[in-house]
Amino acid sequence: MSCNRIETDGMRYIDGEMTAAEKNEFEKHLASCVECRRAIDELGRVERLTGMMRIRDPQDDFWEVYWKKLFRRTERRTGWLLLISGAALIVLYALWKGVTDFGEITFVKVVTVILTAGFIILLISAIRERVHQYKTDRYKDIER
Amino acid sequence: MTVTDGTMEISKETLRAWKEGSVEAFEEVVRTAMKRAYAVAVGILGNAEDAYDLSQEAFMAAHRAKATFDLERPFFPWFYRILRNRCLNFLRKKAGRREVSIDVLIEKPGRSESPEKGVMRKERAEALWKAIQDLTPEHREIVILRSFQELSYREIAETLGISEGTVMSRLYYARRSLYGKLKDICDDLYIEGDDAP
Repeated sequence: MSCNRIETDGMRYIDGEMTAAEKNEFEKHLASCVECRRAIDELGRVERLTGMMRIRDPQDDFWEVYWKKLFRRTERRTGWLLLISGAALIVLYALWKGVTDFGEITFVKVVTVILTAGFIILLISAIRERVHQYKTDRYKDIER
Repeated sequence: MTVTDGTMEISKETLRAWKEGSVEAFEEVVRTAMKRAYAVAVGILGNAEDAYDLSQEAFMAAHRAKATFDLERPFFPWFYRILRNRCLNFLRKKAGRREVSIDVLIEKPGRSESPEKGVMRKERAEALWKAIQDLTPEHREIVILRSFQELSYREIAETLGISEGTVMSRLYYARRSLYGKLKDICDDLYIEGDDAP
């Protein structure tokens, strides 16, 4: 076995990823190669240290809150998307009716114009906020 | 039928129901994967609060992209790529201003628990955590997946979409770097023997 395989076989040896035959062969190599023996010794000590540790588990209630918060975030995002889409459709419809259906000015038409103006203002405001968020979004380049 | 991701098991029926829009199935998927997702995110980011936010955002992104998930493939490697991209992108944006949490890593329970050894354990854990956080993100994730998630080389290779040879090579350089930084602790541990903790 070549010493330059310490990167691969050495790791497999330390992590117990070798078959019995491979392990036997590698140990024969170790017996005759001071360099590999030293590397295995040092890296095995690192493995021993990491093997003694674990990442601290949060409490059980942390996980209950985790799911609930995630669900709320997902639900709200869907709600906002539907609301904005619906508002946009109403505004577009009102605009189309206003442009294509000229006639006398009625109370209903005045209310529609007011509602449309309100929707347009809100829509522009929401779009402006989304554009600003997009420009400053830390995650916009993420691939899925 | 069950698709196995290391120790994580999500039935194909659950994944299919999730893809078809079942909230209950989504909850099951999240509950099965959230601990590993959070632990891996903490490992890569080094910060518990960021890991909480980004792992949740990764689940939300996965939920939106569920139509692209292949039922014949295991869930976690697919999800992990979403999570990993978010974490690495976050780190790029935070370059130089990264906040590393302390007290994330702890020693597994040992045989003796004297106060003196307790302090020593805490110091050892903090030194190792700091050294891991000084690794490159690519080396850090390999150490996290191997040492703290106990994935096999094959599972790591599948999760990261790299060859097993690359897994071993990254692990080698990560361990070399850790030994360079923690030589005294590693050597003391060795000299003290099996009863050291």
